[in-house]
Amino acid sequence: MWDQIQTGFGYWDVYAWIAFFLIAGGMVYLIRSFGRKDYKRDTEQDEIFFGSNPVPDDGEELKVPASSAYWGYTQALKPFYDVLVGFHTGLATDYAGWYILVTALVALLILL
Amino acid sequence: MSWQVHLPALLIAVPLLGAFLAPLTALGGKGLRNTWFVLVSLAFTLIAFLLWARVGAFGTAVYVMGGQSWNLALPSGMEVPVRILMEVDAFSAFMVLLSAVAALAGAIFSVTYMDRFSGLEKFVALYFLMVAGMFGMEITGDFFNFFVFLEISSVASFGLVAFWRDRGEALEAAFKYMLVSTLGALMVLVAVAFLYSKYNVVNMAALGKVIEWGMVEKTSLVLFLTALAMKCGAVPMHMWMPDAYAEAPAGVTCALIAVSQASLYGLFRVTYTIFGAFMGSPIIPWVIIVLGVLSMFIGVSMAVIQKEVGRLIAYHSVSQVGYMLLGFGVGLLALSDARAMADYGFTALKGGVYHIVNYTMYKGLLFLSAGALFYATGCRNLNDMGGLGRKMPKTMGLFMIAAAAIAGLPPFNGFVSKLFLYESSFAVHPVLAVFAMVTSVLTLASFVKIFQTAFLGPALKKFDNVREVPGAMLLGMSVLGVAILLLSLFPTWSVNHLVEPAAKALVDQASYIGAVFAATVPGGGL
Repeated sequence: MWDQIQTGFGYWDVYAWIAFFLIAGGMVYLIRSFGRKDYKRDTEQDEIFFGSNPVPDDGEELKVPASSAYWGYTQALKPFYDVLVGFHTGLATDYAGWYILVTALVALLILL
Repeated sequence: MSWQVHLPALLIAVPLLGAFLAPLTALGGKGLRNTWFVLVSLAFTLIAFLLWARVGAFGTAVYVMGGQSWNLALPSGMEVPVRILMEVDAFSAFMVLLSAVAALAGAIFSVTYMDRFSGLEKFVALYFLMVAGMFGMEITGDFFNFFVFLEISSVASFGLVAFWRDRGEALEAAFKYMLVSTLGALMVLVAVAFLYSKYNVVNMAALGKVIEWGMVEKTSLVLFLTALAMKCGAVPMHMWMPDAYAEAPAGVTCALIAVSQASLYGLFRVTYTIFGAFMGSPIIPWVIIVLGVLSMFIGVSMAVIQKEVGRLIAYHSVSQVGYMLLGFGVGLLALSDARAMADYGFTALKGGVYHIVNYTMYKGLLFLSAGALFYATGCRNLNDMGGLGRKMPKTMGLFMIAAAAIAGLPPFNGFVSKLFLYESSFAVHPVLAVFAMVTSVLTLASFVKIFQTAFLGPALKKFDNVREVPGAMLLGMSVLGVAILLLSLFPTWSVNHLVEPAAKALVDQASYIGAVFAATVPGGGL
């Protein structure tokens, strides 16, 4: 139950990892304890730095929407994504068509 | 004789009874219906557990319905009669146990999640019908019954996907799912007919004993392969999956994951148990590997750019199915070569089997988390969400567990199955391992996206009144969350007791065949 898992190429020991996380957690806690002691909750020390501008009341004006996530990644791979999204037409006939095409292709590979 | 010999029959009978009596329980009000929903789910989970334990202790269970005796598989004078024969080996029992846990979690979650809607007696009836069909697919010993159970689970799923019939998208998703699913089921029936026309049997063990590698068998194999690969969402036949998974109520999607795994089970039963090492060509294993790599990469690439939580997680289902196809494909490739099997084939197979259990648990939990977000906020689009971690800390915690597990972050269970798959696929070709690792990185990226946009960020005024979801929903999610943690903390137990017996049973073609042919006299068998 407590053994390592042998993969045939190496091994996996979950308890070594847990020990690592506990040690790392302890070190983080130790470093944190060296921090300033004069911090006070719910004072100006808690305020968000918003480019020296007043912080809007509604988080809606602050948040980064999901559509902006990985913008650079999707822009860099735009040609790939154009093809990929175009391939997902949403048409039921295409759904059936792809299935038939794959069946025909595998049949050709196996039967010929 | 112990009453437990009847567990295979009870496994199907209990959810069927649950389905047929569900409309009657509605007469007793909401409380009785919900109690019935949870009690029947607990009952079939207990039966699944007992069956798994019994198969582990006594070996493959054979059960005959409609014959002279429950253990008389081959009565004298009739070589292979037509009857309902169930055969439960360690792989079937493993699948049944996972499916039952996922269905239980989905049922507990749905009790509160669906409370706002009417027609729930129909919902409960369809849910249990779907579960009965799924169990039937996983324990049946013949192909015609496999087709029948496939249809039962599919037809019930169509109704459940379209349950919110006031949403056009739900109806459209159900229609598309019905179209491709019916086409696939028809091909399964044609494949069974091909085999029946030549061998005059539909019994899996009997077919495995006599099958040859000719034109009829190849055609049948192709039809099985593509139909079942489509049913489990392999690219490029996956497009129904994001539609159906995103539109179905979250509890249903949790169980639908197990239903798609039942198709995967069918695919591997055909390739490993019926054809096995006898398959005289590496083309089929390579087709499965290529489908796996395409599913992994295209599934995750599409997931990264999604904005709707349900669709994003559904595209990950496609991607995760790819990992399983990769593992089983590599195992199948090595099946006819004892040295390759010992070197990397069995490791790949273990990785595939382990990924099935991991995937069922964490994917179920992810869909339930998405359902919890929808329940609390009424939003499906990530662009409309933000700052919910403060309002829903328990949902966020459970989501984090599932997200870390699916991304394969150590020390979670997803890492272990992926480690098996990386190392074994590397032995076949390094490019396969590279695709698997890149997929893992993109998986992490897309779940970071959900976490950041839904749970982190500033609090939104429109969510001032949002509260944590009710306890019953958290309980349903916790069933899967606890399972993930246990699988993560006790990987050696999981591999030794869950994964390896199932993987060994899958490659032990002789034992599967022998179990039916041994049960030929009354009093024999299990």
